[in-house]
Amino acid sequence: MTTVTISKPISKPRKRHHQHSNLGTSIGIVIILIIWIVPTVGLLVTSFRPLSLINTTGWWTALNVNNGPVSAQHPDPNASYVEKLSTRFTIDNYVDALTGYRGTSTYLDACASGTKPLGMNCNITDLLNPRGMGRAFINSLIVTIPSTILPIIIAMFAAYAFSWMDFKGRYAIFAILVGLQVVPIQMTLVPVLRMFAGMGINGTFPAVWLFHTGFGLPYAIYMLRNSMSSLPKDLFESAYLDGADHWQVFTKIVMPLTTPAIASLAIFQFLWVWNDLLVSLVFLGGSKPVMTYQISNMVTSLGAGWHLLTAAAFLSMVLPMIVFFTLQRYFVRGMMAGAVKG
Amino acid sequence: MAKTIALPVMKQKRWVPWLYLLPAMIIMSIFILYPMINTFGLSFQNADSTASAATTCREGQPCWGVFENYRYALTNELNMETPQTTWESFWISSYGNTIKWLLVMVTGTVGLGLIFAVLVDRIKLESLAKSIIFMPMAISFVGAGVIWKFVYNYGTSQVQIGILNAVITSLGFEPVAWLSKIPLNTFMLIVVGIWMWTGFCMTLLSSAIKAIPEEIIEASRIDGATNFDIFTKVQVPIIAPTIVVVITTMVINVLKLFDIVYVMTGGNFGTNVIATRMYTEMYTNANYGRGTAIAVILVLFIVPFIIMNIRRFTKQEAMR
Amino acid sequence: MKHNRIPWTILAVLLVSALVLGACAQQATPTQEPEVQTPGDIDCTGVTAGDTVSMLYQWSGEEEAKLTAILAPWSEACGVTVTPESSRDQALLDTRVQAGTPPDVAFWNVTQLSQYKDKLVDMTTLGANAANYAGYWGEIGTIDGRWLGLPVKADVKTLIWYSPANFQTAGYTVPTTWEELDALVEKMVADGNVPWSMGFESGDATGWTGTDFIQDILLVTQGPEYVSKIITGEIPYNDAGVREAYEIYGKWAKDPKYTVGGAEGTLSTGFNDAILKVFSDVPEAFMVKQSGFASGTILGTYPDKVYGVDYDFFGVPGAKGLQGGSDWLMVFNDTPAVRSLIKYLSSDKGGQMWAEVGFDLTPNAAGNASYASAESIKKAELLSSTTGFTPDIGDSIPGGFGSVEFGGITDFVNGGDLTTILDTIAAAQADALAQ
Repeated sequence: MTTVTISKPISKPRKRHHQHSNLGTSIGIVIILIIWIVPTVGLLVTSFRPLSLINTTGWWTALNVNNGPVSAQHPDPNASYVEKLSTRFTIDNYVDALTGYRGTSTYLDACASGTKPLGMNCNITDLLNPRGMGRAFINSLIVTIPSTILPIIIAMFAAYAFSWMDFKGRYAIFAILVGLQVVPIQMTLVPVLRMFAGMGINGTFPAVWLFHTGFGLPYAIYMLRNSMSSLPKDLFESAYLDGADHWQVFTKIVMPLTTPAIASLAIFQFLWVWNDLLVSLVFLGGSKPVMTYQISNMVTSLGAGWHLLTAAAFLSMVLPMIVFFTLQRYFVRGMMAGAVKG
Repeated sequence: MAKTIALPVMKQKRWVPWLYLLPAMIIMSIFILYPMINTFGLSFQNADSTASAATTCREGQPCWGVFENYRYALTNELNMETPQTTWESFWISSYGNTIKWLLVMVTGTVGLGLIFAVLVDRIKLESLAKSIIFMPMAISFVGAGVIWKFVYNYGTSQVQIGILNAVITSLGFEPVAWLSKIPLNTFMLIVVGIWMWTGFCMTLLSSAIKAIPEEIIEASRIDGATNFDIFTKVQVPIIAPTIVVVITTMVINVLKLFDIVYVMTGGNFGTNVIATRMYTEMYTNANYGRGTAIAVILVLFIVPFIIMNIRRFTKQEAMR
Repeated sequence: MKHNRIPWTILAVLLVSALVLGACAQQATPTQEPEVQTPGDIDCTGVTAGDTVSMLYQWSGEEEAKLTAILAPWSEACGVTVTPESSRDQALLDTRVQAGTPPDVAFWNVTQLSQYKDKLVDMTTLGANAANYAGYWGEIGTIDGRWLGLPVKADVKTLIWYSPANFQTAGYTVPTTWEELDALVEKMVADGNVPWSMGFESGDATGWTGTDFIQDILLVTQGPEYVSKIITGEIPYNDAGVREAYEIYGKWAKDPKYTVGGAEGTLSTGFNDAILKVFSDVPEAFMVKQSGFASGTILGTYPDKVYGVDYDFFGVPGAKGLQGGSDWLMVFNDTPAVRSLIKYLSSDKGGQMWAEVGFDLTPNAAGNASYASAESIKKAELLSSTTGFTPDIGDSIPGGFGSVEFGGITDFVNGGDLTTILDTIAAAQADALAQ
């Protein structure tokens, strides 16, 4: 059997034609971007402010050193602007979030005054405190990575079958596939939990991996099918002419060419699992806390401690954004150019 | 020997497709299909699934027998005294709100996503712009709830900590209670939804646009087409299948959308949507019969889109 | 071709390492600070060191730290390891119970006692000490003749918070009867001040501060027996007494002369913000009716305020009973370790610890003398001297009643018709109690 070779898809972007993206368009884009980012900037600024200022002054006044309640003012009215400014910002929210401090003041203040907060040692080991974000970060990784990779792998096979193979019942199964995506997650929890309990895997990581895989499959297959079926027929015909079978076409042609779609899917599945709380809580439990669990626990039932949420939300956002940036290189123009020969 | 058949292009043994499909189908059947069938069965029973729904009928009230939960799900939010009140109460019921969300949010996210995908494709700082638009997706719902608290906050008579009201009061107007004024509040929530999901649509549509071979675009330019022409006559038609996929996915996401409404208003002040209502019935009211009935109705909403997808599926097959 | 293998290799390595890590991942257990305790007053019969008790509760942050401190003597003495989970999500508890995998014990609301009554273990079987609890606690915790819940935490809601400093400046005195309160409100309005600060906004529970206020007014005008009858359904919600309470409340809640922002302010202000408005540097109102947790809210934003000088409270004058929140311990699995927990919490030692740590108030009468702060002592006195305690109506009537009640009072302040609203709520009450 002759081996199939295709030319390596060009992964470097071609020289762009910067079509006179006129000034109007550019300004329009910049304005939209500013509006888009303002709420997030608000959160970032707020995460560096102490609670007493958050509740009483708008975050856009953060550089104003004279407003807010009396207790937040600098003790010396004649201090310089910079001195006053330094008391208006604090890293306490981040420190408290990272260490999982639970108390009425702040971690740094409590340690400085000599009374160790419950369960803490007032040294660097507190970063791995079970109630802090450090330990949770690791758990979140353990949950998320397999839950992203497994569904994508399984979905690729199924999507290929839908796109380029013939079998009875294609339409019916496709219809069910679309319909399954809308099933609300709450409906699936109790039956699956019972099943896991019967199998004895409750509270373990494989239980969460299986559930996320199951739940993520319909959408993954749906999306990948769309990408795979938009590949030109000629590719397959020439491969078939050269004597290739489905496995070779799948691995050597389809997989490389659908890399942008796989990258998109990876980002979304990663995000969905990373930011999920309910599934981890139900199948994994609180003994292996993930980041979302720690975040939800920073707020007491009455809403106290929500200022810690601002810092915690940013901490949990760092990795997803890194993932997004890293996978950008797969969204390149010209993957298809030159791939089809004659 | 090339066979001139429409599809499939390549022949294979009968069992090969099932080899590729089986892992996915088994997993999906266990985790989604079986629970959904279970749910369907529960919707015909009473609150704690111990007896048929017919037993929950009360005298002097209309009763639909074993469909009693569906009667409740469909009519309980409506004030049916006059056609006028029925119409009004429909539009702030969970069904009316869901329709508003579907119309506004799907159009908003797909439309904006498409526009951004096309515009941002041409500028230098493409990665940065895309990241800014995408960033809201990376912030979990908990974070988003806190963020928008600082935008919509009603404030006190002396101080505003929500930026929207701060802007309004500095222009001399009275602050507005964005989240409690009916029907404005639903649209303010939809704004949050669009802010969060446009990045998703943009990412998908952008990768579809980039897959269009450059030669076609250049050929059109040589023929004298303007940017707008290229957009409407070349790009959109070519990525039409992806647009259908994105619309369908957004419809599904909007139907399931629960966190934004739950965290910001809890479904109060006329902002209830189907997903929050289902949650409330199942867990706050501990009524599994009604909760599952609402879930079934939610799933039925997707049927028109399944039909749309099948149509496109067959069209695509026929073209190949 | 080789070029394409590298990302896949990386992915494979990541996948394998994640799987390995997952298999070896340690359980994270919270550490507990060892406390000095007198041995011998904690009953550990039948417990082997290393037994575990899995718990589910709604407390987190500082609240959770307090619970851990309270349980520390018991877990130390009996060598029990606690595996805690904290979530306010009702869905989680329901799912676990329905699927047959409940936690050993749960600290939750009183409605769950009725909801899960078929799955809970009797307190008397477990050896709880009933003597430490006043009669009304036993009544509330008994469903169908079985004592199913141990009340562990109570909070008094029938309080009005004010600033003694501001009162003094303006020349006001604390009222001792309802008529005096009414007169004080009118005096404040005449002076050009705003008497009340109210805030409904609270996510999916928006409106609960209003229903709390209604219940307190009912305690004044009708008394705790009346409220208990509403909970059992003997008195329908659209009774004349309830109507009167709504009218009294509406006069204050909807009018900008009586409350900050009028109806709009009441509806849109967050419940925590409403508390802060009374204690800000330039106060917007003089009084806020709120539960015992208000001091935490005040200190969070104004850490320099002093109890007794800058902020204090008085019980709603004329109330013939108290309204309060309560948290209940319920047991799904009967094990020796769980029994030792029940015995500990219902014993004298347990009550004392709870009061010392200061986790709100303890219904366990043995703790009455052990409160540490002046504020807690005052609240505890109110609680121990009362003749009638009524839990929140919305918390006690199962099913959908609570959210209908919240929606109803929100509509009312928004200008809805009172008769229709009360009828709707009464229908939900009948619906919920019939099932």
